[in-house]
Amino acid sequence: MSRTNVKQNIDTRRVTQELFTLTYGAFVAQILNDYEHVDEVNKQLDKIGYNIGVRLIDDFLARNPTVGRCHDFRETADVLAKQGFKTYLGITPSITNWSPAGDEFSLLLDGNPLTEFVELPDGPGQKLSYNQMICGAIRGALEMVQLEVDCRFVQDQLKGDNTTELRVKFLKKLEDALPVGED
Amino acid sequence: MVVHSFYVINRSGGLIFSYEHSIPKIELEKTFSYPLDFIFKRAQKGVVVEFGQRDGIKVGHTILSINGIPTRGNNIDFSAPSSINNDDDQQISSPTSHDIIEYLSDSANFPVTIKFGRPRLNGNEKLILASIFHSMYAIACQLSPELNSTGIRELETDQFKLYCFQSITGIKFVALTDIRQVNVDALLKRSYELYSDYALKNPFYSIDQPIWCPLFQETVKQAIDSLEKTGSPYT
Amino acid sequence: MVVYNLYIFNRNGQCLFYREWLRRRQIKMTQEEEFKLMNGFIYSVKSFVQRLTPTDLKDGFVSFKTNCYKLHYYETPTGLKFILNTDNNVDNIRHILHQLYSTIFVNYIVKNPRYSALDIINNDQEIFIEKLDEFISNLSIFSQTNKI
Repeated sequence: MSRTNVKQNIDTRRVTQELFTLTYGAFVAQILNDYEHVDEVNKQLDKIGYNIGVRLIDDFLARNPTVGRCHDFRETADVLAKQGFKTYLGITPSITNWSPAGDEFSLLLDGNPLTEFVELPDGPGQKLSYNQMICGAIRGALEMVQLEVDCRFVQDQLKGDNTTELRVKFLKKLEDALPVGED
Repeated sequence: MVVHSFYVINRSGGLIFSYEHSIPKIELEKTFSYPLDFIFKRAQKGVVVEFGQRDGIKVGHTILSINGIPTRGNNIDFSAPSSINNDDDQQISSPTSHDIIEYLSDSANFPVTIKFGRPRLNGNEKLILASIFHSMYAIACQLSPELNSTGIRELETDQFKLYCFQSITGIKFVALTDIRQVNVDALLKRSYELYSDYALKNPFYSIDQPIWCPLFQETVKQAIDSLEKTGSPYT
Repeated sequence: MVVYNLYIFNRNGQCLFYREWLRRRQIKMTQEEEFKLMNGFIYSVKSFVQRLTPTDLKDGFVSFKTNCYKLHYYETPTGLKFILNTDNNVDNIRHILHQLYSTIFVNYIVKNPRYSALDIINNDQEIFIEKLDEFISNLSIFSQTNKI
């Protein structure tokens, strides 16, 4: 009871961006210490992102009742960039580089709050995919609405590229996982 | 306007949350002399009135206790401690127990005080009903004469209404209300938000598993209270 | 508003009569299987409702709706079951189903000496079908869109 009362006094949907960025940074640094291989770290970040994504999608849908099931990948890209990223990271990446078949696109992340203070350490740390959690979250969230995608960074400003480019590729529709009672 | 109960069903038809808000208690106790003018039948949950409705005791009511001793399924044991819980349809029969129908047809046992009522659903029955509803939802979609139908959103009887909202991720939120309650759809949308907050954002909650988060139950209760009082689930 | 189709089942679960005025979706099974499914479905809905109800039911199951259609149910004490599908803007039409039973079914089937109320209604029951069509198309819920 007392906990609920306290909650009403704070805005639960807002936390300073710096605290968030520092938390994520401390967390990535810690698992980089804990694991020997950077590849393993990237994998863990992806997994953590996935676990966030499978939960976050319901939060997103609960608060955006007008968003329905996507019927093509362009719609997915739009909702992802303009509503998903906007809500949870406060940025709106631009959608570019559509594949001719329309099953693959890129998101250009401009002003990513996660990486504001970050410089990758020398040595193996250069292979770290710092933002990998975002890939996992996208993969997890879309899997819950029956879209299997592949998601990876193809360019990363932290690694000296001009831009940070996230590539999302449609793999298949998970028909088996479609909730029963949907035509 | 009343909301009776609220349930959450996962993608495979499993009941993961159940909350009883206000279920009317239907119980009647009376003393009878021989012979009884009820016709009884044996049922899974105990002895049920099959015919001979009178004094507010209706067909379908179950015998809950005799002379203050709770029944156990179709039997009654006057010498056993009455504290034993008979929640799960146990048909315990011991040397000192009597078959209820036989007991009530023996004039030597009268006068007798019988409590009739409508037993609450137990945990097991709720699980079964949730999975039945899960398949009913799917069949309603299959039998649709119109294209692109969803499953059952609103089911009406002369006594209660059932409302169901299924999220795109396949979670069903179900509310049972009296027939006059309005704005239940808003309650279900609100409960989806609460689920995404208090269940999904709780890092120790595993998806598709039963929800044991006290804050979820507390906030659902608040939303229902608010709906009943003000017509909106938001405070 | 739109009226889609009507099923009449007898107390043994046999489909006595089926007629459709509009149906946009064809089911992927034979008609016989569909009748069996509908009958079994209604049976489970009724038993579900009886087990779930917090208070004592009188009529029991009345109707349900999805995002686009509404199924109305009426059962006579003799065990005849009337199932009428409409779009989901239609209110409670229990009285209409009762009227359909009392004025159409009773008059043209039950009172027809050639016929037993437990038999399947064939297409040679022309008067019944004609009166039924007339009854349904005169309902206020049967609109122009029905005829498209």
